[in-house]
Amino acid sequence: MSPEEAASFAGRYLSVDSAERPAELTNSALSNPDVLTSLSRILRERFSSDPSLALDEANFIYRWLTDKGQRFGLFDERDYFLGETAFIAGTASRLLGKREEAFRWLDRAEAGFRHTINPAAGLANVAYARLSLRFEMGRYDDVLDLVPSLTASFRKLDMPLEVAKSELLRAKSLKQMGRLEEAYAALDPVRQITALRQSPDLHAHVVSEIGSVHHLAGRTDEALVAYESSLELLHDRGVSMARADLKMFLGGLLRDKGNVAAGASSLRSALEDYLEMGAATRAAYLRVVLAEALLALTRPREAEWEILQALPTIEEQKMVPEGFAAVALLRESVKRRKTDPNALRELREHLQKQN
Amino acid sequence: MEIPDGPLNPAEADDPFELEIRSVFQDTLGLIHLALVSHYDLEELEAIELEKDLYVWFVRFCMRPGNFSPRQSRPFLMVACCQFAREYQKYLIGTGIREAGEKLSKLLDREPTEVARDFSQDLEFLGFRHRDV
Repeated sequence: MSPEEAASFAGRYLSVDSAERPAELTNSALSNPDVLTSLSRILRERFSSDPSLALDEANFIYRWLTDKGQRFGLFDERDYFLGETAFIAGTASRLLGKREEAFRWLDRAEAGFRHTINPAAGLANVAYARLSLRFEMGRYDDVLDLVPSLTASFRKLDMPLEVAKSELLRAKSLKQMGRLEEAYAALDPVRQITALRQSPDLHAHVVSEIGSVHHLAGRTDEALVAYESSLELLHDRGVSMARADLKMFLGGLLRDKGNVAAGASSLRSALEDYLEMGAATRAAYLRVVLAEALLALTRPREAEWEILQALPTIEEQKMVPEGFAAVALLRESVKRRKTDPNALRELREHLQKQN
Repeated sequence: MEIPDGPLNPAEADDPFELEIRSVFQDTLGLIHLALVSHYDLEELEAIELEKDLYVWFVRFCMRPGNFSPRQSRPFLMVACCQFAREYQKYLIGTGIREAGEKLSKLLDREPTEVARDFSQDLEFLGFRHRDV
């Protein structure tokens, strides 16, 4: 099958809802390595905009391959596709905030790639995904310790976009640790990587982070310029993590510049994007941030509602720092309204179960 | 997917990337055939069939995200060739269809990576395969 035919078949496969997909279509698509190659490429492209779909489809393909047993494709292709689909599932799980699941998938990805003829690229991507998870768990020292070696690997493998991602992770860790000038120094060369033009989402992400560093350093005008540049890069793209993150940064900046209403509006728009993509952990975090803005606008009832919506995810994903913030904010909203102690009790019960 | 026969015709050129894959495979085919027939003792028809599978595999291999260019992937093509041949002969010998002479038995005991290195001069990326990532 030619690459064009395979891409067309893969598109047809994904256009049918998985719940309604006939077994014949599934078997003929997934038993063809050319179609699987196309499916993998499409799902990788959709990490950022539809991680739920990427996770569901990759999970299904992985299970289908393991159920099929040892016979699939030529030479190392079974191991490669097991590694690739597990990697896609792991990355999508991470974006959805399913951290434990992500770690398991990445272990499976490593197991698959290890048996391929050229495991270096696959294993380097798994290492990057694991470091990203550590970043999201707040383990910034781990990231700073391990990322230089990873960047060196990507350079040796001539993978410039991955070099950009790796250095972006380092910069974000520095930012989170308050080392703002070092973060900026790390980001500036990343912005110069010419391969970024192939990935508007990643390019926008880099520029957004530059804006975020400016914002934290008190350079709000420079921050606004960076965010506007980032918006330009995303203007013709749909929902994506990059776009949602940018709206969140912009919301924070507007709030800090005193335009709290506009800030809350941008934060809510970001929240809608995260919810559309199924990124529950980010949505839960953003609800807590939005609640703070709503309290500043003396809208305590809405603030309380946002916190209560965040609670199930805070509990499920053990988002402890965000949980303590929710308690403080909810206590404040209850204090201002002097009503509804049930909400406070419910939050307390949730956190007690969690602990 | 068949290996395109004969010299490449620019008038029928496909995607430049596919053209490069085809070109690299064609350039290496002589070495591949020598390895399969002279060293791994495959019969002519067996070698031709294995070469078709090898081509199909190589096209998909070159399309994997993060892999090197087709030209830089040539060493991996030779390793795959030796691995294919080794697995094929081991299967035939294991099922009793074929007997292995001393020379073939010794070859089958060696890692395909080492055997491929012996065949080809330009395998510098194979050294990187074993470096820690």
